[in-house]
Amino acid sequence: MKILVVDDSRIMRNIIKNTLQYMHQKEDEYLEAADGVEALEILLHNHIDLLLLDWNMPRLNGLELVKKLRNIEQFVNLPIIMVTSEAAKYNVIEAIKEGVNDYLVKPVSERGLLSKIKRIFPAL
Amino acid sequence: MDIKYIDPFIQATVNVLDEFFNVKPEVQKPYLLDKDQEHQWDVSAIIGIAGEAKGAVVISFPAELAGILTSRLTGKSVEEIDEDVIDTVGEVVNIVAGNAKKGLEEYRLMISLPSIVSGKNHKIAWPGKNAPVIAIPFKTEFGIFNLSVILENIIV
Repeated sequence: MKILVVDDSRIMRNIIKNTLQYMHQKEDEYLEAADGVEALEILLHNHIDLLLLDWNMPRLNGLELVKKLRNIEQFVNLPIIMVTSEAAKYNVIEAIKEGVNDYLVKPVSERGLLSKIKRIFPAL
Repeated sequence: MDIKYIDPFIQATVNVLDEFFNVKPEVQKPYLLDKDQEHQWDVSAIIGIAGEAKGAVVISFPAELAGILTSRLTGKSVEEIDEDVIDTVGEVVNIVAGNAKKGLEEYRLMISLPSIVSGKNHKIAWPGKNAPVIAIPFKTEFGIFNLSVILENIIV
């Protein structure tokens, strides 16, 4: 599985990657982006199975990227989990309305992250 | 002074220190911050708040504590306030501000990207001339850090 981790914090990207690598005994491949613009560029040139996406980022934020992606045919069904500090209910509702498949509030726990991924990929 | 709106920020701070760094901070007595007073902090991470209230949340650390927290995430020792420290304290204030919104859902708020200021007695550009800044010190086994919150229209 090819996973794109998008977060403007390099340390946070590493934490997410290390958590998944530690829990998943599989040969997953990870790509990284620091904002929505970089992420879109990677998505247009790679087949990505899962997008883990922060909300608050410079240039193009996570929600703006979701809006763009859901209007591009090849990304209509791309699994997206928003991983963000934004914990207010109105933020969760807004993100779901725009088309994210699931929502995880930071700080991220190993169990929380894995359970969200398993909801999208039950066979894992 | 009604400081009940500070509580979500305090809870979020305790939670992120515990979950992220396995550090259990003790909340000390809140006080009104004198914006012009000299301070002891080496690095501050700031997030602006906009929407139905205007303000900011700031977390300030001594360099040593910021370094210890950073090395807990990176596994590397930290000698100075470098990119990793800036990344770490920025992410801490981002999580505190974003998580605190859950306890303030009666107001629709937006948070900015974090900005970092460092240096001895560094200055913070506080928004709002008249609104008070509530400061809450937290004691940890590695030293004290400070959470400061200003929310115009909410904390008066």
